[in-house]
Amino acid sequence: MKTLILLFVLLSSFAFSAEESSSSSQMKRLPIGVRYFSQIMGNVHQNPSRYSQVLTTISCNHPVKLLKEVSKDGKEFILYGEDKWHLVSVGPYEGFVMVDYLSEKKNACFDEEFPKFFDGLNLDINDLYYWARLYDQYVQGKSKVRQ
Amino acid sequence: MITSKFFLLISFLFIITGTLLANDAPASAPEEKKSEQHSESKEGAKDGAKEGEKESSKEGSKEGTKDAPKELIDFSGITDLVKKDGLEAELKRKEEESRKLLDEKKLREMKRFNVPTSENFWSFFSEYWLVKNATVLKWDIHKPDFELEKSLTAFLESQGVYEKKIKILLLDSTEIAHAALPSNQNEYIFILSLPFIRTLDLSKVEISLLLFEDFVRVRREYFKNFVLSKELDAYLGSNFSGKSFDKKLIQTHLQKYNQILFEKGFSFQDQFETTKEMDVLLKNDLKMWNTYLSLLTKIDELTKSNALYKKYSQIYPSPELQLSWLKPKSTIR
Repeated sequence: MKTLILLFVLLSSFAFSAEESSSSSQMKRLPIGVRYFSQIMGNVHQNPSRYSQVLTTISCNHPVKLLKEVSKDGKEFILYGEDKWHLVSVGPYEGFVMVDYLSEKKNACFDEEFPKFFDGLNLDINDLYYWARLYDQYVQGKSKVRQ
Repeated sequence: MITSKFFLLISFLFIITGTLLANDAPASAPEEKKSEQHSESKEGAKDGAKEGEKESSKEGSKEGTKDAPKELIDFSGITDLVKKDGLEAELKRKEEESRKLLDEKKLREMKRFNVPTSENFWSFFSEYWLVKNATVLKWDIHKPDFELEKSLTAFLESQGVYEKKIKILLLDSTEIAHAALPSNQNEYIFILSLPFIRTLDLSKVEISLLLFEDFVRVRREYFKNFVLSKELDAYLGSNFSGKSFDKKLIQTHLQKYNQILFEKGFSFQDQFETTKEMDVLLKNDLKMWNTYLSLLTKIDELTKSNALYKKYSQIYPSPELQLSWLKPKSTIR
């Protein structure tokens, strides 16, 4: 009897986990446009969090495909993590980038405006890593006229 | 018989004579014509010579066309026709176009060597300093979300400071307690020590006041003026095409950031002017003014008691003096 109960519990837990994984895979990811990265360097994260694992690093004006998730019941998701993150596709990766760092149009990037000056600084891989991390670590805001 | 032969001979002779006479007459006629022509040619010798010259010149010109080089061809007669075709204008336009393209290409190539102007240099340079000092400042850490950006923007708005972009970077270091770095217009980069605010147990309002003091200081451009030399000022906005990149100049000025933030700090005069401005700005809200006073008291006590923050009074001279500048004089006559 005990073994039967144990078997039942095990089977139900397997069924539950299978259902959970299928529900996440049921979310359809669809491209809804192109955005451009607006800072000098930045990271694409696995999850919508500044401390989440970094999938890849992108530089200014790098185009990314903006994605939306559509659930089985038709609900659409564009913003994530307290509406501060977008789901994007960059090359083979699908991850999250902060909303503030994406723009609809191409930006006037420092490294494109002053390429030889930027090259002259001889930034190594360590510097570029930290520059991308800097934009993960900044806490940003803007004072506005409120009416 | 003889007479018949005689008559036959005579008649034969007549025929021969007649034939000979007939042959002589046309032969003499051309001689007469020749003599006549000769006399005529003598009379019109001059005219003949002219005609001869004309003929010879015609022949000469014919020969000339065969042998003369091409430069000698005179197209002046058809210039108007060529102009009407618009070929000259087309050629000029093509030449102008190619010259413009070449100029643009040269200009584009030259622009690649532009040095950033003062308007877009400072934020980049401050971030470059942060990147280069990442390990000293220890800002690449996990930290709680204090929502400091919300409290600071609300404070700035309460002070009537609008449309200012703020970036706050928390450090896990006691090397620098707090500072605002030089940045581009309408942009402010703050650095704030997490151990410092934890040790003092500062509230969001107190943190906002501390950062607002840095805001006033950076707005007065003490930091920028300390870092900016004549050489850097001349270098900014210039072009180094055909020269090598002056990395030494950049490194020297990067060192100046270290000097002001780690060693030298701000002058008494800078600090006096900042404190006085804070006094004026906060006096409208006495509650806020008192909070500022209590904040300075806290910092004064910390710098006197905690060895980790001994250097603070050197960088921002000094909380004790600031308090004395703020407190109204007690002597009333």
